[in-house]
Amino acid sequence: MEKFEGLDFYDIESLLTEEEIMIRDMVRDYVDEEVIPHIEKACEDGVFLDKWRQDLGEMGVLGAPLKGYGCPGLSYVAYGLICQELERGDSGLRSFASVQGSLAMYPIWDFGSEEQKNHYLPKMASGEWVGCFGLTEPDYGSNPGGMVTKAEDMGDHYLLNGAKMWITNGTIADVAVVWAKLDGVIKGFIVEKGDEGFTAPEMKGKHSLKASVTSELVFQDCKIPKDRILPGVKGLRGPFSCLNNARYGISWGALGAAMACFHSAKTYTLSRIQFDHPIASYQLIQNKLAWMLREITKGQLLAYHLGKKKDDGTWFNEQISLAKMNNVDIALEIARMSRDMHGANGVLDEYPVMRHMANLESVKTYEGTHDIHNLILGRYITGIQAFTREA
Amino acid sequence: MTNIVVLVKQVPDTNAKIVFNGESVDLSAVKMVTSPYDEFAIETALQHKESSGGTVTALTVGGSGADKILKDAKAMGVDNIVRVWGDGFETLDSNSFQSVLSGVLSELGADVVYCGKSSADLGSGSTGPGVAEKLGWASVSNIVSASFGDGLTVTAPADGGNAVVNVSLPAIISCDKGDLKPRKPNVRGIMMAKKAQVDVREASAPASTVTLVSQTPPPAKPAGKTYEGGQSAAEVAKLLRDEANVL
Ligand SMILES: Cc1cc2nc3c(=O)[nH]c(=O)nc-3n(C[C@H](O)[C@H](O)[C@H](O)COP(=O)(O)OP(=O)(O)OC[C@H]3O[C@@H](n4cnc5c(N)ncnc54)[C@H](O)[C@@H]3O)c2cc1C
Repeated sequence: MEKFEGLDFYDIESLLTEEEIMIRDMVRDYVDEEVIPHIEKACEDGVFLDKWRQDLGEMGVLGAPLKGYGCPGLSYVAYGLICQELERGDSGLRSFASVQGSLAMYPIWDFGSEEQKNHYLPKMASGEWVGCFGLTEPDYGSNPGGMVTKAEDMGDHYLLNGAKMWITNGTIADVAVVWAKLDGVIKGFIVEKGDEGFTAPEMKGKHSLKASVTSELVFQDCKIPKDRILPGVKGLRGPFSCLNNARYGISWGALGAAMACFHSAKTYTLSRIQFDHPIASYQLIQNKLAWMLREITKGQLLAYHLGKKKDDGTWFNEQISLAKMNNVDIALEIARMSRDMHGANGVLDEYPVMRHMANLESVKTYEGTHDIHNLILGRYITGIQAFTREA
Repeated sequence: MTNIVVLVKQVPDTNAKIVFNGESVDLSAVKMVTSPYDEFAIETALQHKESSGGTVTALTVGGSGADKILKDAKAMGVDNIVRVWGDGFETLDSNSFQSVLSGVLSELGADVVYCGKSSADLGSGSTGPGVAEKLGWASVSNIVSASFGDGLTVTAPADGGNAVVNVSLPAIISCDKGDLKPRKPNVRGIMMAKKAQVDVREASAPASTVTLVSQTPPPAKPAGKTYEGGQSAAEVAKLLRDEANVL
């Protein structure tokens, strides 16, 4: 297929700094050279290549917007562009980077002690240590406040009991940021690979995000030292502030997947001849391509403006909900449409579209499902929460 | 301290569609990149520095638009970036261009200079040997590998085999693809590049001795022929033998 040269109908590039453009191009070239040629095999094998972990660390894109402790301190726009390019390759790569940077490094950076920051962050920024984020439980997904995993203060250590499910990077993680109730209040704990009573079996059989590791985290009288509690936060604000950063990255990432599907649809329909002409010469196909371009362009403006608001600190939660929900929604629709436009070829692994389509189903569900974000916006508009019947 | 200089040139992206506006090539909408062979030269220069110390300076002749490739070289790890420009430089021919470069290289005090074996746009391959001639330096072209242990030793194809040459400095070495993989920039390099200042120098060139008369696009390729099915094998074989002369 013709090389991807970016999709930038409204010249958003003119708003980017020289550094942001260089970082985007660095990740773009990397994805073309080291991800796309290997992704189908990785999906078939159900693995996240260890080389990708090393490379992302060497490139210096992990924990991109965090400052200090070996982290690069890039703008949120640069972080968004990194997510966009990674997910143009595969949502599994962006998931790895989101979990590492926004869900595992960020809580240590924001709520950790000085010792914890110095100990964990440099090795996580370099990719030497992989992190994961344990919030979801078998019985508590959209409603994490109901979690039953608990921590007990045993005097000289904490004892963790419970189980987390659907945890990205779990099995390959060296460091798990786990949310559990201590005396009924949600607190963050750092659990390390090899801690007594901690196991992380992989969950097999996903039809989506096949190149990403998903695991259970099981704590059976798991003993952890006292200095592994995150001192700076309590309650749902802890996990939710991590999710805000990751959701922001997803709003860019989803556009990357959408761009890949658009690019494939455009290239394919221009070359596929039916009824003696390229199918791209028919109005129904052009209407679909025009719709894709329109939605991607709107999504880009949304993501870019939100990035500027993240950079100057004037954003609020609901803006992130809208961006995550919208951009994943249109990306999934574009992937489905592109799959259709490829005809039978659309189901083959020779084209990226069905893989992106299947990936985006997970992206729609994690980090707050599509409808949970509708409920967040509904509460914002009306002032009435509709998550539960009980007030 | 070896003073290593690498010559880099900005060229249209090799993936770009080239537009021909009737008389000459229109590059206004084309993305410009570092000429691919120059990336091998940068990699060789950086390896030279890493093995025997010194500094690497990337040098280009160009307008301010060429700062981008200097920043890219900086992000890969070169120490200094220098751009040279002067009146009438838009239409420099190879000979005057080499005079400009040899002046700047003397000014910079270069001990060894690396460049790509040819540029991706004009492809004349004359820069390395031409500058060496003007400076009276040693010159080896099209090298595929280099080692820096005991002096500079390079390998270049010769007469169907390879020649291994020990080169005394000062020298100009032009680089082919070889088995090198030019390193990729990382975020740290990019942040250094952002801060780096381009050292812009003025120069003048001797009057041109040649004039470009016109440019024409390459002739269009004739349409291909398609043969399907086993029954056409004999005919295809005949055409490959009689028309294409490949059998
Ligand atoms: C591949 C993958 C990776 C993941 N990685 C992680 C990870 O790293 N860490 C982590 O903690 N979690 C992770 N998750 C879990 C993810 O965050 C949850 O799946 C998500 O929060 C939804 O929870 P659930 O699956 O239990 O669905 P449920 O909450 O049971 O929701 C099912 C459906 O009901 C709807 N629904 C729920 N409540 C309401 C309501 N009040 N009103 C209307 N509709 C409602 C939802 O929108 C959804 O459509 C991952 C999930 C996947 C698929």
